[in-house]
Amino acid sequence: MVHSSSQLWAKHIMDDIHVKAQLGRYPLRGFSTFQRVPHFDELVFLSTGLTRVPLEGYKEKCNTRTVIGSRFAKEPLILETPIYISGMSFGALSRSAKAALGKGASKVGTATCTGDGGQCEDERKFSDKLIYQILPSRYGFNPRHMLGAQALEVLVGQGAKPGSGGLLMGKKISAVIAEQRDLPEGIDQRSPTRHPDWFGPDDLSIKIEQLREATDGRIPIHIKLAACRVRDDVKIAAKIGADAIVIDGMQGGTGASPDVMLDHTAIPTMASVTAAREALEEIGLYGKVSLIISGGIRNGADAAKALALGADAVAIGQAALIALNCNKHIPGVTDYPKEVGVEAGYCRYCDTGKCPVGITTQDPKLEARLDPDEAGDRVANFLNAMTMEMALIARSVGKSDVHSLEPEDLAALTMEASLMTKVPLAGTDYRPWENGKKSHGGKKCI
Amino acid sequence: MVKLDASKLSLRELNTSLKKACVLGEEIHIANPGARHNMAVCILSKCRITFDGSVGYYCASMLDGPDVLVNGNAGWGFAEHLYSGTVRLTQNASLAVAASIKGGEVVIEGDAGARAGIGIKGGLLAIGGNAGYLTGFIAQKGRIIICGNVGDAVGDSMYESLIYVGGKVASVGTDSRVTDVTADETKWLGETTERLKLKTRKGTSWKKVESMKTLYHFDKLKLKDRHVV
Ligand code: SF4
Repeated sequence: MVHSSSQLWAKHIMDDIHVKAQLGRYPLRGFSTFQRVPHFDELVFLSTGLTRVPLEGYKEKCNTRTVIGSRFAKEPLILETPIYISGMSFGALSRSAKAALGKGASKVGTATCTGDGGQCEDERKFSDKLIYQILPSRYGFNPRHMLGAQALEVLVGQGAKPGSGGLLMGKKISAVIAEQRDLPEGIDQRSPTRHPDWFGPDDLSIKIEQLREATDGRIPIHIKLAACRVRDDVKIAAKIGADAIVIDGMQGGTGASPDVMLDHTAIPTMASVTAAREALEEIGLYGKVSLIISGGIRNGADAAKALALGADAVAIGQAALIALNCNKHIPGVTDYPKEVGVEAGYCRYCDTGKCPVGITTQDPKLEARLDPDEAGDRVANFLNAMTMEMALIARSVGKSDVHSLEPEDLAALTMEASLMTKVPLAGTDYRPWENGKKSHGGKKCI
Repeated sequence: MVKLDASKLSLRELNTSLKKACVLGEEIHIANPGARHNMAVCILSKCRITFDGSVGYYCASMLDGPDVLVNGNAGWGFAEHLYSGTVRLTQNASLAVAASIKGGEVVIEGDAGARAGIGIKGGLLAIGGNAGYLTGFIAQKGRIIICGNVGDAVGDSMYESLIYVGGKVASVGTDSRVTDVTADETKWLGETTERLKLKTRKGTSWKKVESMKTLYHFDKLKLKDRHVV
């Protein structure tokens, strides 16, 4: 086929070279990958017919309650929906955004997560359930805050930029953020990639024992991994004592990252679920170690598909920010072209601190555009809508519990999705991955 | 005085007993620590704890208040995340001693391994002997004193911390440099080492390692240095 312009040297490729020729370094941005990669849209549910009976939406309940981390913890994390808000730092996000996420999550009985930079007081105040992240930087780490949390999450990597540390640009290191992180005000902060006090699995197993001693074994300990060598990493994390494993796929969002990392590292979220589930099955810990999936979960269908493939819960970041108002034009308030140079809907400039809707900024004037109460209501509504979508799908395939969704409820629309998830291509019973073996814990896909 | 025999207790029993006694402000003596990991973790009240022997990883970590003395050696992450109080070790510390401390004082009478004082956010780490590779890596605030020699890449990518070295500096890390100490700093070093009972060589000529702050702003970096961000 002859195209009217070069496929190899497309406009965005030339723009990228022009930017690098100007900057002398890699460009940074927020949001998530721009690559088109296989995602949950390539799966569909096989709802009922004569082989399965659907449940009645108006009278037959569908359970969404979710228990995370009951492997060792005396007080596992109990959520009313299998969706919670993933770690996003106070610093990357404004105080109002953290408060709104806490309010929204609490309204629907779910949790938020601190992210880098320590605990934001407002987030703690408004989050009934808070997951306290322990990161390589240890910015703002406080043992008293840790003891007040409902779960701990040791961050090893994130899908947006695995193997590289967090970035927070100078415009966002306000006096408050500088004090919280013990950094000079206004610097371009680069977080370390490796933890200061452990390197490999053997050390991390001792670190986990330390956290368990610190908390008297009361609360779950999660390990968050970027989706790279998922099978090996999941087995190691389970072996060294994680109560829950969070796998963050390449579609995971970020406040700031080199775009080369966003677009060229980690594997797609969908592919990571089956790999993680099989890894746990192989070591006999599937169902004992909780599996949480994040990275580009946009709606109840994505979440339901993640659960069907093997997850116990999902975490959302970018979708929650969009519920807060990210990329929404507010008449009489925002002027996206003037403020960030693009129309609403095309913004990904969280790294600049100029967020037109007050979410990813430390500028008090911009932050005032986000009302934490109203924004919290939007987050609660969105979480509720997602949960309803999941329950609707579950009932349509005859399940009274979203956790009963299984790979056999799915069909793949593309060969890639089929091979990544081991779900047969729609309309076929073709299983090239089997080679005589059965997948999905020995259950045959129909 | 509360006396605990670590060899007769599970780790959880030992830590629970310690926490209970510490809340009452007791003085606690622990016999036979046996270099076990994770002893005296996350104690947030004032008390006095003595270990009669060597300890493993993360001993005396995440503390806010206690005064701890370990008569022996220590494994990785000794006294990490100290908030307030004092932690003293009579012999040598392994990797990442005092990692990420926010306050208080950590005193090592012997040598410290690599990454001593990594990412500290305040407080004081004082080492009577030598310290290893990447000491003070990415340290943010607070001070480190090394009475002996220090290994390669000291103070790499450091922010506002200051490192004082009585002996030789093998090499400085990215963005750090060796400078002279001021008269006030010399006085403070003399008083502090004396107060902490750390021996310094006669006529010690102190050197200071500090950040050059060239990594603070990405776009002000010279082209050849931009690989570091
Ligand atoms: S609107 Fe704000 S949160 Fe959304 S992409 Fe732009 S800067 Fe980021």
